[in-house]
Amino acid sequence: MSLLEVADVTHRYAGTKAAPALNQVSVSVSRGEVVAVVGESGCGKTTLGKLVAGFVRPTTGSVRFEGRDIWSLKGKDYKTWRRSVQMVHQDPYSSLNPGLTIAGTLRPALLRHRLVGRRGVQDEMLRILALVGLDATPAFLRRYPHQLSGGQRQRVAIARAMSLRPRLIVADEVTSMLDVSLRVAILDLLLSFRKGDAIDDMITYLFISHDFGVVRYFSRGGRIIVMFYGVLVEEGPTEDVISHPCHPYTYLLLEAIPVPDPDVAERRAAPASLVEQSEGQPSLTGCVFSNRCPLAQAKCHASQPPLTDVGGAHLTACFFPERIPAVTHLVEGINQR
Amino acid sequence: MTLNGAVSTEEPSQRAASSERKTVVEVEDLTVSFGQGRGSVRAVDQVSLAVHAGDICAIVGESGCGKSTLAYALLDIVPPPGRVTGGEVRFKDRSYSKMSKQELDDLRGAQISMVFQAAMNAFNPVITVGTQVMHRLQAHREAFASPAEGRAYFEHLLNLVRLPPKRVWPAYESQLSGGMKQRVAIALALLLRPSVVVLDEPTTALDVLNQRLILEILKDLHRNLGLTIIFVTHDLAVVAELASRVAVMYAGRLVESGTVKEIFSAERRHPYVTALIGSIPTVLDSGLHISPIPGQVPNLAQLPPGCRFAPRCPLARPLCTQAEPPLLGDEHHHAVACHVVNEHLQVIEPDEGTAGR
Repeated sequence: MSLLEVADVTHRYAGTKAAPALNQVSVSVSRGEVVAVVGESGCGKTTLGKLVAGFVRPTTGSVRFEGRDIWSLKGKDYKTWRRSVQMVHQDPYSSLNPGLTIAGTLRPALLRHRLVGRRGVQDEMLRILALVGLDATPAFLRRYPHQLSGGQRQRVAIARAMSLRPRLIVADEVTSMLDVSLRVAILDLLLSFRKGDAIDDMITYLFISHDFGVVRYFSRGGRIIVMFYGVLVEEGPTEDVISHPCHPYTYLLLEAIPVPDPDVAERRAAPASLVEQSEGQPSLTGCVFSNRCPLAQAKCHASQPPLTDVGGAHLTACFFPERIPAVTHLVEGINQR
Repeated sequence: MTLNGAVSTEEPSQRAASSERKTVVEVEDLTVSFGQGRGSVRAVDQVSLAVHAGDICAIVGESGCGKSTLAYALLDIVPPPGRVTGGEVRFKDRSYSKMSKQELDDLRGAQISMVFQAAMNAFNPVITVGTQVMHRLQAHREAFASPAEGRAYFEHLLNLVRLPPKRVWPAYESQLSGGMKQRVAIALALLLRPSVVVLDEPTTALDVLNQRLILEILKDLHRNLGLTIIFVTHDLAVVAELASRVAVMYAGRLVESGTVKEIFSAERRHPYVTALIGSIPTVLDSGLHISPIPGQVPNLAQLPPGCRFAPRCPLARPLCTQAEPPLLGDEHHHAVACHVVNEHLQVIEPDEGTAGR
């Protein structure tokens, strides 16, 4: 049984007549898996994260955790689920309460969920600080967020999530606000919780990011989900999706990524009509991507293609997956390493 | 505006020709300080850099390394309380320190202009883009024979940044997407036909497709207008895609400068640059060769003795914590500030080398 099951969820933000933020999205995540969600700003990836963490209620469809609809949970069950799913937000400058010390940030949830008693809480907080690579001293617990660097704050935010011994963590753009040289350290920290010895159970991640480099690093051996305007357009094993994209949107994203290697960048084919590709409005009747798609046919403007398996657990919502080429300069660059 | 040398191919045979190209912006021994007396910090510390006509020069570094402050200094617009406390910046051999306020005002915008970080958020939300362009034209009547001619030129620029003038001119900023606004901001910076444009983080906060569009447009503008481009970024991938020359900063110091190929080739490179390139998760690498840089960027108020990177450096030796390494160039003017890397370097022209070429 999968740990998390998002079944046919549509979410429309109240009062908006525009296209729904999530449109009939289904995602299933097994225990111990790492699933990355990518897409441009406004594609619904953060809404999907909030939905999984229970901050957003689906308009239709259901979110199931360990087989039970999270919106039907009550009492003790609700409390257990609430503890099991934690979220780490994008911006550690706004996700921590500036008026609370680090102890003030960590203590209430530990006590509320009775993970430790009042006497043990200080030791438990120090243990968690050490776990996330922070200075495990009582003096550090008395600090306020403004006394910490961006990287330290993000570690506090991760400590807050980890302190409740969650099963699933929704990590929403956790490195995008950090300096480049700090990113890998934060990703490595999150990955270290999957080794099993630090925390009782292996942590499952829903990892939201717009950065394919970060996604490839974090979800190696895992899966990628690509979203476009609320629609899940492609899903598959990380390496597969990068080397053989089966949806034109994924292709365009991969094609566009700047690569930190001038020789690879030089081999990039000249882009055709980037303006239409970055500005075309989503279609409401046909394939959601048809207005931007350089390969679109009459069929594509008529109906939304269903998500179909092209082999090897690689799914795409495109009528013509065989027409999508590999991103040559990227594949060559990868093979050279 | 010069069109010759607009494309910077960096073959050795063409190097001689490229070093004869005119220097447009030259920074010499520049120090920019914030604060007074003992509490003062040097955000930019004795930096020398020469930008030649037709260069696309990247200034790269992590937050707090002084890259934006250096960019501001290129237009003599360092925001107070920051101030230039040493060295100078020259534009076409004229030092800013010797120019009057009027001369500087005439220079900015018309000869060298800037696209600020998040410029797309700097439009007035209650007047149209067209009105904002007309305001700028009225303030610079000398630039065009008539406002209509100025408007025509702006519409030409909009075409170059791949925007439809008919849609953009009457639009309010709320009617444009973030990527479109960034492109309008670039067109607006080029309105008075400057030969040099400085862009601070031009692709930050844009999604990947818009990022690609901005990169392609900047390459177009470089080609079509013979523009010299200086841009500040923290993103080494953007550097690899766009720049012809690169200056890397660390804790206020210039630690390496050279062509983009020199910076990315591992032959002779500052250990910080090696560590930085090795710390970036890229789609090209499954992660096996990626590792974080240990330690933290030093606080500018409490700098370590000697080389500023020494506490984090895998190559550090006793000498590194005693003396700050000078920036030394090889025969190609590829300059590195590292004791260890420069140990066996034959310094050909030490003075030219420290000038960042």
